[in-house]
Amino acid sequence: MPIQYNTIQVMRYLYILFAFLILSWSTPAQDYKKAREKMVTEQISKRGIKHAHTLDAMRKVERHLFVPPAYMRMAYDDGPMPIGYGQTISQPYIVAYMTEIIKPKSGDKILEIGTGSGYQAAILAEIVDKVYTIEIVSELANAASERLQKLGYDNVEVISGDGYYGLEEEAPFDAIVVTAASEHIPPSLTQQLKDGGKMVIPVGSPFLVQTLMLVEKKGGKISTSSLMPVRFVPFTRSRKE
Amino acid sequence: MNRKIYLSLGLLSASLIAFQLALMQLISAVQWNHFAYMVISIALLGFGASGTLLALTRKWFERHAEFALYLLMILTGVSMSGIILFSSALFGKFDTYLIFVDLSNVKYLVLSYFSFFIPFFFGALAIGLIYIQYVNRIGTMYFADLLGSGLGGIFLLLLLWLFYPAQLPAAVSILPIIAGILIIPKSWARRLIIPSLLLLLLPIYLIISPSKLPVSEFKGVSGALNMPESKIYMEEKSPYGHIQVIESPSLRYAPGLSLSFTEDIPVSDALYINGNWFGPLTDRTENNKIHFLDYTTHNLAYVISEPGSVLILDGRTGLHADHALWNGASKVTFVEENKKVLDLLKNELAFKIDSLFSDPKLTSISLHSRSFLLSDTSHYDLIVLPPIESFGGSSGVNALEEQYILTLDAMNDIWDHLNDSGMIEVTSWMDYPVRNPLKILATLVETLEKKGYMEIEQHLIAIRSWGTISFVLKKSPFTADEVSRVRDFCELMYFDPVLLPGIDSSERSAFNHLEDSGFFSSVDQIVSPERASFYKNYDFNIHPATDSKPYFSQFLKLARLNKLRDMFGQGALPFLEIGYFITLLTFIQISLIAFILIILPLFFTKWKGKGKVYTLFHFSGIGIGFMFVEIIFIQQFILYFGNPVIAASAVLSGMLISSGIGSLISSRFKNSNRSLLVILSLVILFILFYAFILTPLLRASISLPFSLKIIFSILLISPVAFFMGMPFPIGLKQLNEHNNTLIPWAWGINGCFSVISTVLATIIAVEAGFLWVMLLASLAYGFALVANVFR
Repeated sequence: MPIQYNTIQVMRYLYILFAFLILSWSTPAQDYKKAREKMVTEQISKRGIKHAHTLDAMRKVERHLFVPPAYMRMAYDDGPMPIGYGQTISQPYIVAYMTEIIKPKSGDKILEIGTGSGYQAAILAEIVDKVYTIEIVSELANAASERLQKLGYDNVEVISGDGYYGLEEEAPFDAIVVTAASEHIPPSLTQQLKDGGKMVIPVGSPFLVQTLMLVEKKGGKISTSSLMPVRFVPFTRSRKE
Repeated sequence: MNRKIYLSLGLLSASLIAFQLALMQLISAVQWNHFAYMVISIALLGFGASGTLLALTRKWFERHAEFALYLLMILTGVSMSGIILFSSALFGKFDTYLIFVDLSNVKYLVLSYFSFFIPFFFGALAIGLIYIQYVNRIGTMYFADLLGSGLGGIFLLLLLWLFYPAQLPAAVSILPIIAGILIIPKSWARRLIIPSLLLLLLPIYLIISPSKLPVSEFKGVSGALNMPESKIYMEEKSPYGHIQVIESPSLRYAPGLSLSFTEDIPVSDALYINGNWFGPLTDRTENNKIHFLDYTTHNLAYVISEPGSVLILDGRTGLHADHALWNGASKVTFVEENKKVLDLLKNELAFKIDSLFSDPKLTSISLHSRSFLLSDTSHYDLIVLPPIESFGGSSGVNALEEQYILTLDAMNDIWDHLNDSGMIEVTSWMDYPVRNPLKILATLVETLEKKGYMEIEQHLIAIRSWGTISFVLKKSPFTADEVSRVRDFCELMYFDPVLLPGIDSSERSAFNHLEDSGFFSSVDQIVSPERASFYKNYDFNIHPATDSKPYFSQFLKLARLNKLRDMFGQGALPFLEIGYFITLLTFIQISLIAFILIILPLFFTKWKGKGKVYTLFHFSGIGIGFMFVEIIFIQQFILYFGNPVIAASAVLSGMLISSGIGSLISSRFKNSNRSLLVILSLVILFILFYAFILTPLLRASISLPFSLKIIFSILLISPVAFFMGMPFPIGLKQLNEHNNTLIPWAWGINGCFSVISTVLATIIAVEAGFLWVMLLASLAYGFALVANVFR
C-alpha cells in the first residue's frame, strides 16, 4: 500500500525542521539559556513571584521551542505572542503568576483548558505528576502534542476537543488552569475541582489588559477572587490613591 | 469648453466619497473600526498632498492638462480596484494587534497608509487641476464636485445592498474610469478609447470573482470558525453591516453565569456583524426547563418583582426579550436599530429561535432606542438597558462611539417611561481599573437626584458576580420583602450585594473578593453628596455622559496622563484607553503631515506678491468650519432618524447638494469681496443660531412621520449649507484675480484642514461637547471673515 502523506503533517514536519534549523544556526543554545535566566530574574522574580518550583520550571522550559519560528528571537521578551488561529502564548510573567497562584506541587493532577502552544502545560509538568490539557483547535492540539512528546514530557496528555465538559474520567483535579477564558465558567469544570482545589482564569484580551481570577472550592461552596489586572507589569495602584 | 468635464468631475467626486465609505466598511470587516478610522484619515491627506504637488509642478500640469486629467482619473479608478488585491496580501500578514507584539509590524501600517492614500491622491490631483484650469467657472465646477459627492454617498448606500465588502472598491472604481473615458483628449481618442474600455474589465472581474480577504484571526467570527465543525450558515450584505450566522456544536453563550449553575448550557448559533459578536440565536425549546439568565445578576429585576410590561432597548438577537417572556411578562416591547437583523430574525432565522418574534405578547420596533423613547408615550414596569462593555473589557476601543442610550438625558427619558413602581435594569461587566460600573452608577444616582429622590439607597440595588454587576433602579422604595429576596438570591447564586438597603460591609465580598477594595469606597462616594469631588479626584472620567458629550466609554482624562503613567507604568496607557489614544495618535500624525504639506511649497517656490496669510486663514477657516458643522449635524441627526446610516446619508447629501447650489449661484456675484463678507457673516450667524436651537428643534419634531422628518431636515440643513458652499469658489476666484499661483496651495490647505478638522471635531466633542464644536466652527469662519476684511 502506498504511503499517504497528509499535507498538514508534511507542513508540521517542515515547520519543526525549520524551527530546528533556525535554532541551531541562528542563536546558540547558551544564548537562549542566558535569555531565560534574564527573563526569570527581570520579568518574574523582580515582580514578586517567589514560588520556588515555578521559578525553577520557568528557568528550565525552553520557551523558544513553543513559539513560531518568526518569533523565536523574541521568545523571552516581556509580552504575549501570536501562535496562529487567534491564539497566543501568554507573556512569561502571566504564565508564572498563574502557576504560582495555584501552588502546584509534586503529586498533583492538573487539568488545563486551552493548550495553545503547550508552554503552560510544560511548566506545570515540571512540577506536578500529571497534566491533562485540552485544546479545541485540532491543528494546535496536534502540534502541541508532538512538541511536548519530542521534548520528553511524558506526564502531559494533550486531548484534542472541546474543553467545555472538562475530563470527567480523570476528575477530580487539584487545580484547573483555564487559558482560554470565555464569558462563563463551564459548570462541569467547577464540579471536577477537588474540595480545596483552585482554578485560575485570565479575563480579557491578551494584547490589552488581562485580569486574573481565582476560583476556590471549599466545603462545597465556591468563591472567587479577582486578582490584579496585568499587562507586562502588574497594574497595582499606588497606595497613595 | 468640453461640457463633459462637469459630468466627469461629478463622477470622480462621487467615487471618492463612495470609496472612502467603502474602505471604512471593508477595513472594519476584516480588521477593526479604530484601525479603519486611522488609516482612512491619513489616506485622505491625499487631498492636501495633491495641492502641494500642484503648487510645485503647476506649469507642467497646465501644459499637459488635458492628457493629465484623463490619466489621473483612470489611475484613480485602477488604484481603487488595485486596493483590493493589495489588501488581500497585506491583511494576510498584518493585524493591528501585532504592533503591540513586534514593532517591526509598523512597516505594514505605514504601507497601508501609503496604499490607501494613492487613489485619494490621484483623484484629488485631478480635481485640483480642474479648479486651476477652469477657475473662471469655479462656481459651476464646485457645484459639480459637491453634487457628485452628495450623490456618491447615496450611490454607496445602494452598493451596500448589492455587494460584499470585498467587492465594493471595485464597484466604486468603475466611476472614475468612466469619468476618464468621457474626457479622453480628441488627439488621443483613437489610440486610447479601446484600452480605456478594456480597463473596465478589471473592476468587473474583481466584482464577479472577488478576492478572499483574510479576516483578522483575533476577530470573534474567526474564533468561532476555528472551532471544530463550525460553518457559516448564512451571509447577508446590507448597509447595516456584513452579517454572518455561524453554526457550531461548541458555541455556548451564558455571560457571567453563576458558579452554582450545574446544568448544561445549551449550544447556540451566533450572529456576527463585520466579524464582531452581535448576539446568540438561542433555541427557546432548549429552555423549557430552565433559563440560564435566571442564574445571572441580570435576573435581579425579576427577583425583586414580576413585571408585566417590559421594554427591551437595543435588544440585538432577542435573548433578553425571551427572558422577559420566560419570567411571565404579559407585554414585551423590543427595540433594535438594525433593521436587517430584525427582518432575518422574523423570517429566515425564525426557526432558530423558535419564532420568538411571532409571540403575540412581543412587539418589535426597528429604531434607535433613544429615538424610540423620544417618540413613545407608553409606560413600563421594567426597562432593560443593553449590557455595558464586553467580557474582560475592551480597553476603551469604543471610546468615541456616541452612546445616546447611556447619557443622563437618556436616563431621564427612560425614567419618564416608568410606571409608579417601575424599574430600570442595567448590567455591566466588571473592568479593571474600574470605570464602566462606576460611570453607570453615577448616571443612575444623578438621575434619581434630578428627579428629587434624595434617599438613593432606598431606590437603587446593585449585586455583583465573579464578572458582572447589575443595577436596578426603582421608582418606589424597595420593600423589606424585596430586599430579603435579593439577599436570598445572592446567597443561592454566590453573588454579593454591593448596594442594598441595610447592607453590612462584610456582605459585599462574601463570595467574590476584589484585590482592589477601593471599588466599594468609590461606590459609596458616588452615592454620597461628595460625588463631585470624587469625580474630580478619580483618575478616570466617570462623570455621566450627556447628549452633548455622549461618549459613555470615554474614560481618559488628558490632565491625568502623567499620573496614570506613574501609577501603571510607562507604555501601559495605550492599552487602558486604546480608542481615544488612537484618535489622539491620528490627530498628531495628520497634523504633522499636513504641516509639512502646507509648508513644503513655500520652500520651493518664490511666489511674489501678498496673499499668503489671506490664503492660509481663508481656506483653513472655511475647511475647518465646514467639517465641524457637517460632523455635528451627522451626530445630531443620528438621534433624529434613529439610524446612523440614514442620518449620515441625509446630512451628507443634503449639505453637499445645497452647498453645490450655493456655489453655482455664487458664480453670478459680481463684487466678490463684498459678497464674501456678507456670506461669511451670514454663515457665522446661522451656525451660532443652530448651536443653540438645533437640539430643541429636533426634539420637538422627532415624533413626525419619516417623510416629514426628511423634509424638515432638508429645510434645516439647506439654508446654512447653501451659504457654506460659497466661500470656497469665491475665494479661489479672488485668488485668480490677484495671485493665481496660490490656487493649488489654497486647494491643498483646504484639503489638509478638512481632514484635520474631522478628527479635531471628535476630540473637542469628547472634551467639551457639541456646543463648543459649533461655537468653534463659527470662530473658524470668523477667522476667514477677518482675513477677508484685512486682505
